Amino acid sequence: MTPDRLPEPGSPHGNGRGAVRSPILRTEGLTVRFGGLTALDNVTLAVPHGEIRAMIGPNGAGKSTFFNCVTGVLRPTSGRIVFDGEDITGLPPHRISQKAIARSYQITNILPGATVLENVRIAAQSRHHSWSLVRHHRAFVDVIDRARAVLDAVGLGDKEEELAANLSHGEQRHLEIGIALATEPKLLCLDEPTAGMSVSETRATVELIRQIATDLTILIVEHDMEVVMGLAHTITVLHYGEVVAEGTPAEIQANPRVQEVYLKT
Amino acid sequence: MTRSAAGYWIGFAVVLALLVVAPLVLPEFWRRFVTEILIWGLLAMSLDLLIGYTGMVSFGHSAFFGLGMYGAAAALLTVRPPNLWLAILYGLVGAGAVAVFVAYFSTRLRDIYFAITTLVFSQIFYVIIFTWTEVTGGENGLGFSQPAFAIPGVVSARFTPVTLHWFVLAVVTVSYLGLRRITQSPFGMVLQSIRENEPRTRAIGYHVERYKIVAVMLSGLFAGLAGVLYALQNKFAAPDFVFFLVSGEVVVFNVMGGMGTLVGPVAGAAFFFLLRELFSRFFTEYYLIPVGIIFTLMVIFVPQGLLGFLRRRLNQ
Repeated sequence: MTPDRLPEPGSPHGNGRGAVRSPILRTEGLTVRFGGLTALDNVTLAVPHGEIRAMIGPNGAGKSTFFNCVTGVLRPTSGRIVFDGEDITGLPPHRISQKAIARSYQITNILPGATVLENVRIAAQSRHHSWSLVRHHRAFVDVIDRARAVLDAVGLGDKEEELAANLSHGEQRHLEIGIALATEPKLLCLDEPTAGMSVSETRATVELIRQIATDLTILIVEHDMEVVMGLAHTITVLHYGEVVAEGTPAEIQANPRVQEVYLKT
Repeated sequence: MTRSAAGYWIGFAVVLALLVVAPLVLPEFWRRFVTEILIWGLLAMSLDLLIGYTGMVSFGHSAFFGLGMYGAAAALLTVRPPNLWLAILYGLVGAGAVAVFVAYFSTRLRDIYFAITTLVFSQIFYVIIFTWTEVTGGENGLGFSQPAFAIPGVVSARFTPVTLHWFVLAVVTVSYLGLRRITQSPFGMVLQSIRENEPRTRAIGYHVERYKIVAVMLSGLFAGLAGVLYALQNKFAAPDFVFFLVSGEVVVFNVMGGMGTLVGPVAGAAFFFLLRELFSRFFTEYYLIPVGIIFTLMVIFVPQGLLGFLRRRLNQ
């Protein structure tokens, strides 16, 4: 828990512009080019502490590229990423993770051959004594306790001995979020967390995200507009790598430019 | 202790007891056979740390094994009187140094590129050893006398075939328990996470390359220890053992016996040598043909290897 984390003010909905709150994540002129293609074009934005920020836009708008830059998978061609007051531009993924940014993936990305508990335990272990070679991993009870707490939080507490590969799609997506949470992030990037889910699974996932959002900042890419409108404090709309609009869900829904972008594609 | 854990330790004790008694009851040929299997088994186990637990296939283990051998030879030829512990130390330093070198360059690469890099490095060391005749004895290798088993102030005795077997058994058993503990440690769990999903392991905050380097170094040290034991048993070091065919055989032991079990590769080594013994009686130098056919059938029908079915119980 960081001392500079401000308490969530009142209702999380509708007041999410957050201009008064200090940003936990800030990008300045973030640009990514793949050869002749500009995937991100001069993206400058600031996400305040404790906000749920959604990024939307048609396919190929640069949402995943933005995620990949923030989590260190891609090095931006130019521009800066500042997290918690520190320049993290171009750091490799493991360093980014150690700075307390976690992500879940669009495609389920777990350790299929390991148990549910081990998937989360190994993530929790990355914050503590991961270089010990001589003691059994089960001797580090604090790591296991942390993993169990995370599993309870994502609703998989009764499945810990199950092989991850045997979970249902929805459960694997929750495990995915659990792995990210176990690394004790301050910023959690969720890449289409409800992709491929049934209506009831989606509803449960929205509820889960709302719960975990009480003590961290969330950046979410999502195609399901109902999910986005229900969750986000602020929405950033990307189109051809550029920010075309930013505002509350109501503002975005009323924005003619956004309607144009979505109708055109 | 759970019931299955008790089962594991009972099995361990039974196998260990059989191996302790083996040299007392077996005829000379088979006693030697069992001792050699333990040594090759240790080499195979060291490779299992990479293949079975980290998901890296190394074709360079002959280099670590060979350097262990030549390291032991260096100690036994230069220090008078020959000292067992120095032979082990020199062997470990030799293998460790090569392992650091190989690990540093090869772990930047993945999959087949890693495998090829390790193979190339082992061939480089083969060529150096083969051609640097003044130091390594070249093609003929180096011969030396066996050191005595000596703990200053406690005991000093020449090795007999039986006591050497026990010494090898002790080293291999301690190495097995050490490797097993490494695979179950937080570090070992990271290796298995790398095997399962490397990008994910990075994303949750692990510096994957660093873990791989340490894994290759540890693996190289245990391989070097096997080389020292082989040198002690046979009283020579020869370039043939640095050649990549040896690395290939050790990969075969792993596949036959069951990767990711540590004891599987030992069983694989035993099975391979038994087959070779059996078939070379009928097919002489063509024994590799039937062995190859059996290996191919095993890969198709028993892809888990001989002890693969015990994997969960062996790793708990």
